[in-house]
Amino acid sequence: MKSEILYPGAFPMVRVDLAAGENIKAESGAMVACSPTIDIESKMEGGFLGALSRKFLTGEKFFFQTLRASRGPGEALLAPTVPGEIVILELDGVNEYMVQKDGFLAGADTIVIESKMQGLSRGLLGGEGFFILKISGKGTLVLNSFGAIHKIELKPDQEYIVDNSHLVAWSSTTSYNIEKATSGWVASFTSGEGFVCRFRGPGLVYIQSRNPGSFGAWIRQFIPVSE
Amino acid sequence: MIPNALCFGDEFPAAGAPCLVQVEEHGLTVNFASDTTDDQSESVPFSSLTVSAGGLDHDQLVVKWAGQKGERTLYLKNPDVIRAFRQAAPDQLSHSFEQAAERVRQVRHRSRLVWGLVGGVFLATVLGLWFQSDLLVEIAVSRIPVEWEQKLGESAYRDFLSHQEVMKEGPAVAALGEMTQRMTAQIPDSPYKFEVTVVKSDVVNAFALPGGYVVVFTGLMKKAESGEEVAGVLSHELNHVLQRHGLERIVKSLGIMTVAAIVFGNQQGLVGMMKQLGVELFTLKFGREQETEADLTGLQLLQRAKIDPSGMITFFERLSEKDEGRMEWLSTHPMSAARADRLKAELAALPKKSPEPFTFDWKQVQASIGSQTVVVP
Repeated sequence: MKSEILYPGAFPMVRVDLAAGENIKAESGAMVACSPTIDIESKMEGGFLGALSRKFLTGEKFFFQTLRASRGPGEALLAPTVPGEIVILELDGVNEYMVQKDGFLAGADTIVIESKMQGLSRGLLGGEGFFILKISGKGTLVLNSFGAIHKIELKPDQEYIVDNSHLVAWSSTTSYNIEKATSGWVASFTSGEGFVCRFRGPGLVYIQSRNPGSFGAWIRQFIPVSE
Repeated sequence: MIPNALCFGDEFPAAGAPCLVQVEEHGLTVNFASDTTDDQSESVPFSSLTVSAGGLDHDQLVVKWAGQKGERTLYLKNPDVIRAFRQAAPDQLSHSFEQAAERVRQVRHRSRLVWGLVGGVFLATVLGLWFQSDLLVEIAVSRIPVEWEQKLGESAYRDFLSHQEVMKEGPAVAALGEMTQRMTAQIPDSPYKFEVTVVKSDVVNAFALPGGYVVVFTGLMKKAESGEEVAGVLSHELNHVLQRHGLERIVKSLGIMTVAAIVFGNQQGLVGMMKQLGVELFTLKFGREQETEADLTGLQLLQRAKIDPSGMITFFERLSEKDEGRMEWLSTHPMSAARADRLKAELAALPKKSPEPFTFDWKQVQASIGSQTVVVP
């Protein structure tokens, strides 16, 4: 599997080259175009219960797509739903990433996707919900974001503070605590930040430059109300 | 080489360098896989290591030492390697290992405790709702728009009427119309538009569906000795609607999920659930408190509409005395002496108003719906 990001920026696509017999998994609905040699199958990753739990717990799609180059080599174009950047990570079998539920776009067949329950305070206040995707294994992983993706590199014990709704993915060697943005409760919310995540290295944290929730709230004021 | 750990250090990428950790007699050997340079390996004696627990869930073993090229941090996850390390480690490390293990246990314990607490609170809430749910049910019901209630009631109502012989006109319909009109005139602020239908059936019953749809069977009208008696039943049923008792029963029987859905705002799913439940509306039994409430408010409504409220009581009493016949109304409205007594007491407490009689003649109304003698063997 070879992948390349086309039109980097707000409206990118990924071109994935598949060798004969190779297959990848992608978010349901991600396929834009593909060679006629490629078959699209929907697959319940992790079995029926796994898919069910993913659907209900993480809000991710019930089915992942499997794109299989069953009749010879070919390519597929994939794109996310929201405008925003795409990033390609290579998992080496030791690295694991936690990915918030909308962040997964595609991945090699060899990567493993699980739903993972977060702790109470993280689930309640972290902004990603109680369930996130844990992605491990070896191979290519394609993530997408809302807005641009920014990578934060943390050295051991280095700390960084991230607004919780800007999180895309973080490596499992990092740890984080949920905190109020400022010392007081009132100021914490009037500052517009509410809760933030204090990350501690080592590891990588991928953040998105836009906050989907705030954008939704902003755009709602322009939507005409029926009646 | 299959890496089993991640090593962090100044010259490594921030995501960590994958490496193969092997436990040997005197320390750890760390092999770095590298595409650009030859495989490097580093041997570290146990004496220079410190261990702790780390990572997102505190489930990884963090090993630190000062290497020749600076501080090194190793994240180990593989349980086999950790076990081997722990067995081979000399005594001076075992204390740190114990601390790390203790920390992991603490984190797990705390997480179990927190989830246990959450589960306990949840369970308590469920049980609380089950047994003492009235307040929450009322909150939930108050959030359901009247239009939904009307839609729900209407669909069940139309469905029911399609299988019944409905009286469209005649003295009985006119009489019930007059009663309804006199009572609804006293509740001008009501969001409900009451629709009262007379159904030809010997069943001695009347019922109200959510949204203001009331059905009175001719059987009940034949049993009544005066218009006031029927008005008493009607007033009782109207008050079931006004107090939204039907919805309360639905919400109660749908349980906590519904309450949660309404209180927390997911109202779309509820419509579907209620639609599915629409068929069940007829089998809903009101609770004892709801009956009492409907009795008392019904009595007050009669009083306001200047309809003689004693009709309600005498009818109830008569129904409870005679046990024969198909007293459907009784099966859903169990009569007890206490109930009638409470109504009498309540009536005595109300200010006396001189009742105004109805304009219709009850005997004529009864004659119009058929024979007066309904004897069911």
